[in-house]
Amino acid sequence: MANERLRALEDVEKEIAMILQCAGNIVLELSKDKHNASLLDRQLGQFQSSVNRVESELSAQIRYLTQVATGQPHEGSTYSARKDCQMALNRAEYAKVKLGELGRTCELMLEQQQQQQQQQQQQT
Amino acid sequence: MASQRVLPQSKETLLQNYNKRLKDDIKSILDNFTEIIKTAKIEDETQVARATQAEQDHFEMHVRAANIVRAGESLMKLVSDLKQFLILNDFPSVNDAISLQNQHLRSLQDECDKKLTSLRDEIAVDLYELEEEYYSSSYSLWESTDLPLCEVYRQRDGWASPGSSCSSAQGDREDVDGPSSQETNPQLHLNGHGTPSIEK
Repeated sequence: MANERLRALEDVEKEIAMILQCAGNIVLELSKDKHNASLLDRQLGQFQSSVNRVESELSAQIRYLTQVATGQPHEGSTYSARKDCQMALNRAEYAKVKLGELGRTCELMLEQQQQQQQQQQQQT
Repeated sequence: MASQRVLPQSKETLLQNYNKRLKDDIKSILDNFTEIIKTAKIEDETQVARATQAEQDHFEMHVRAANIVRAGESLMKLVSDLKQFLILNDFPSVNDAISLQNQHLRSLQDECDKKLTSLRDEIAVDLYELEEEYYSSSYSLWESTDLPLCEVYRQRDGWASPGSSCSSAQGDREDVDGPSSQETNPQLHLNGHGTPSIEK
């Protein structure tokens, strides 16, 4: 829900840029000797619709904030869940380390055993 | 209570300020743009010379264009302020975000623990065999207080049914090299690591 409102505000920023661009294109077209009427109409329509959209969207956001805002700071946090998750990941990491040690120990024993067998074979 | 009454009023004032800024900036854009279009119209009769009038119109258009850009910048700043206000004060969405994140973290923790539990169950079987092999070999250096897993299970079975093979376990222990002190009350260490007994 929060992301939707923030995305809507980002779209409003793009609309504001579009307003300025349309205004610039209209003035640029008017500066020419021969005007393209259809282009002027299109740009003007886009300019007006962008202005209306920006005004309505920002008014709606301000109205929503008037209903929802309190004077108090928010005191929620995800700290406990994050800590529990971090502990679970630490447990998994520890188990991995211990299993690695166990594996290395087994391999070491096997190598020693093989070396002993080779020595015995050489002696015989 | 007086301080509580002050805070909401400042939020109210802030939101009214946002409304005013919005209205002023939109009005500024529309008015200045309309005036630029009106100024672009070439009139036949002018009060001053045509060149002077052109220069004046040129300057006016520059100023009005700068006003439109300033109003656009002000609107961008307003949007930025609204985003900040939304992040800090939109409690429903903050609560949703927090509960979603908590849910995600808890599911990750549950999955991790579930996998560790299944790993433990799989390894317990292999560990039993490994310990049996190790402690029955000549390499082990364990004390009688530090019983291997297989030995613990045998003793537990012995306690559960007293006529079971406890004596055979005792005989196995005496055959092993290394320090072996007989104690009356052996503490059972299931993980195979010796820990010193705590003196009370």
